[in-house]
Amino acid sequence: MTAGGPAPNDVPDLDVVDDVGRRGRAGGWPLWRQAYAQGDPLPRFAPPPGRPAYRFDEDDALPGEYRDLLLKMLRHEGERAGNKSFLGFMGTCLDLAEALSPSLEARLLKAEYLAEELKHAIMFHRLAVGLDPDFALRDVPYAHYAFHLPRETWADDAFFHFLVDLNGAFHARDWRESSYVPLAKMSATVERDEVGHSEMGYRFLQEICADARGRALAAALLAKWYPAALDMFGRSDSPNAPKFVRWGLKSVGNAEIRKAYKRYVDAKLVALGLEPPDERRHRRFL
Amino acid sequence: MSAIVDEIRRAYATVGITVDQPAAYGTYYRLLCGGCGRMVGNVGDRLLPGMAAELVDAQFDLYAAGLLGCGCGHQRDRARALDPARWTAARARYPEAP
Repeated sequence: MTAGGPAPNDVPDLDVVDDVGRRGRAGGWPLWRQAYAQGDPLPRFAPPPGRPAYRFDEDDALPGEYRDLLLKMLRHEGERAGNKSFLGFMGTCLDLAEALSPSLEARLLKAEYLAEELKHAIMFHRLAVGLDPDFALRDVPYAHYAFHLPRETWADDAFFHFLVDLNGAFHARDWRESSYVPLAKMSATVERDEVGHSEMGYRFLQEICADARGRALAAALLAKWYPAALDMFGRSDSPNAPKFVRWGLKSVGNAEIRKAYKRYVDAKLVALGLEPPDERRHRRFL
Repeated sequence: MSAIVDEIRRAYATVGITVDQPAAYGTYYRLLCGGCGRMVGNVGDRLLPGMAAELVDAQFDLYAAGLLGCGCGHQRDRARALDPARWTAARARYPEAP
């Protein structure tokens, strides 16, 4: 440190993360940079006209229903430092990379992904502490089956990132306009990172689909991942969806965000030379 | 979760894959080759009822063609023993490994 510079304790932690992030990145990381070079890659979700303009910050008293819905949403999100199941899941990602990755570069990219997810775990932990310290420490394993599908090849892992991280990106895009201020503030960072994670999976799929055998494998595995990805948005007639929208925690219902996601995914699949499956086939949550 | 884990174990046993002990707080399990013990993947314990058997059956052709399974060939051989006709058809359908 030079004379007259800030004392070490004055440097915000995440600035330090950004600073070290400028050095030693693997394979063009962060991969979101290219995706945003032409503008916003994800669609904006317009809230219904005339919706009440709620806005709640960390120390505000929250209405009971609002608080319950916010906690429900954060339980699904899962990326919290105090959630040991999330940290366990991160460990399985390294385990898989060690066993299945095709190259050192792929493993290094995967480690960049893990580093960013752990950054999210810090951010969501602090948000959770501000909301409910008990919740911040609660162990909540991912409940949706998409997080539990078997991954038996690097192509499985690639589909997981392309599709499941993209689900997170779409939700984070919507949080930009969240009525919960701490969530709105961190949404842009989470969104762009998750887009980058999805792009990582997509890059792996491009490599896999470069030959006929890899493309045949990807086409077969798509039948497993595609319905799970669409199911992740929940039932179109979910009774909770209108409540989320009314309180400003979401802008649109499950069917609308799923439709936009499907449009984005299908275009990327076609570019890979893969045919998007029938959207109703093998679906569990229509 | 034990009923689902039992279901997963039974489904994977048909193709010569062993479900190991929990890898992360009881939620995720390594999949090990029944022939040589090498790790071939992982699976979580929140699959829906009936899903594990469906998934493994849907992947039969990939095991047969050597697109899934251990490099030692155990799952490929197991698939052949399970259903020789389907095995032969699967191997004809998928491109040969270079």
